[in-house]
Amino acid sequence: MTENDGLPAHIVSDLRAAWAIARKDIKIYYVKPNIIVAGILFPLFMFLAFATGRDAPAEVLLPGLIAITALFSSSTIEPVSIPIERRMKTFDRFLVAPISLDAIVLGESLSGFVYSVAIGFIPFLAGYLLFGAISDNFAAFVAGLCLTSLCFAVMGTLFASYPTESPGDIMSMVNLVRLPLMFISGIFIPFDQMPAWAQVVGLFSPLSYAADLIRYSYTGATRFGVASDIVVIGGFIIAFHLVSRELYRRFND
Amino acid sequence: MAAIEVINLVKQYGQRTALGGVSFSVEEGETFGYLGPNGAGKTTTIRILTGMTQATSGTARILSHDIRTDTIRAKRHLGVVPETSNVYDDLPAWDNLIFNAELYGVPAHARNAAAQRLLDLFDLSDRKDDKVRGFSKGMKRRLTIAMGLVNDPKVLFLDEPTSGLDIQSNLIIRDVIRDLSDRGVTVFLTTHNIEEANVTCKRVAIINHGRIAAIDAPERLKSTFESVKSLEVGLGRITPADLAALRSLPLVNDLVQEGDKVRLLTHDPIRVLDEVQNYTGTHGIPVLSVSTLGPSLEDVFIRITGVGRRAKEVQASD
Repeated sequence: MTENDGLPAHIVSDLRAAWAIARKDIKIYYVKPNIIVAGILFPLFMFLAFATGRDAPAEVLLPGLIAITALFSSSTIEPVSIPIERRMKTFDRFLVAPISLDAIVLGESLSGFVYSVAIGFIPFLAGYLLFGAISDNFAAFVAGLCLTSLCFAVMGTLFASYPTESPGDIMSMVNLVRLPLMFISGIFIPFDQMPAWAQVVGLFSPLSYAADLIRYSYTGATRFGVASDIVVIGGFIIAFHLVSRELYRRFND
Repeated sequence: MAAIEVINLVKQYGQRTALGGVSFSVEEGETFGYLGPNGAGKTTTIRILTGMTQATSGTARILSHDIRTDTIRAKRHLGVVPETSNVYDDLPAWDNLIFNAELYGVPAHARNAAAQRLLDLFDLSDRKDDKVRGFSKGMKRRLTIAMGLVNDPKVLFLDEPTSGLDIQSNLIIRDVIRDLSDRGVTVFLTTHNIEEANVTCKRVAIINHGRIAAIDAPERLKSTFESVKSLEVGLGRITPADLAALRSLPLVNDLVQEGDKVRLLTHDPIRVLDEVQNYTGTHGIPVLSVSTLGPSLEDVFIRITGVGRRAKEVQASD
């Protein structure tokens, strides 16, 4: 599949199509049981297993919970929805429509993004209502949650490019990446307490910067700097998108 | 201007050649049949013409827009109805139509009108708010075709539109195809129902082993195979032994049993009729009816592609 037609009208048309794809996913997939389990319950119980018995203030624990909630909820929709759509042949509808591959990747990612942002506010509100923990910098919190959600939503779309009709195949691959990310990104173990090699590897994890940005919004402390966090996460989003587009092009040929 | 223009299209999958230099053109407003056995290259051709995949070499144009280099503009003119009824089971019929209209950039004010018109046309209005999951196979098929028409396409790709459907759905779909043709829409029809192609298409192409084996109007194709005439005889009694004996009569090339009739393929029906009368008279078999037939498009298809008669029913899904 190729794209061309660099007219502004084409871009507008792509954006509308992407939003239509996202809305369709929202209607169909948000309440699927495997989405709820993998996107909400799994990160919640994983965090509870870690946090239970720890004597740490909510402001310290909440950024980690929000970051991994965003990681799991955003990167769960596409690995479930796209293989199902391949099996039902509805994915072919996107391929024959007069839209670019960018619109398809963006549309699929948007549904994970919206889901994750909505879910990400649950621990935010729970932290405030139950423990009185509140973000000192709400703008940084929103930016952190939105960038994290978009980054991992596009990552989910990238993994879903693998040409299978089984969601389980994709979820296995995604978990192979998501689970190690939690342990090298300063979520469960603070960055400066990790071994030196893990600190180096952690620099290549987008979750490190996402957690840093959200942590900054609660505590004001940052390891990499807010600007660096935003630029690096933005870089990952663009890279994931470009690789996704190329993989969908190759696998659909 | 040709609605579809295909020039020397080649598609390689590794060492395997799916299309080995296919060329044809379809005029605007023409209903064009594309027939072939499984694995002949039908699906590959459609995937290239609808922009789902790229040809290894060659050119394909939709209303002068090259599908490889001018993909989006070419696709804007297309409606695509795949062999599988790929509707969203978890959405109502209305939402399915609106979603497809949005994918094709149909303006908001035109979307609702188009969706309502198509629901009326395909007799689905009273189920428009019902999730598709509860629809019958025929209703899903009608909805799939309606979705292919929601952008008012100038060129419509129809892949097996009536396969396995109930009579009501069949009649509705055939009426719609006829109406589209009357309105100047180009229809590219892939079907294993050769009689459907015979009565619907202005021209048909028969593809075999990745190459066009024949392309012409159905009647002209049939006239080139005059040697495949047949004698159809209605018999009051048919036993396996009778069938074997009739098949072995002189000048009979093949025999097909169709209900209480037998069809004897031959280039000389009159002489075969004499032989049949001799046999039935000798064995006391009542002859109920006799008619001579020219070659059908199915005979032409079988002759060109070499598929067996018993196998032809499973040649559908490529």
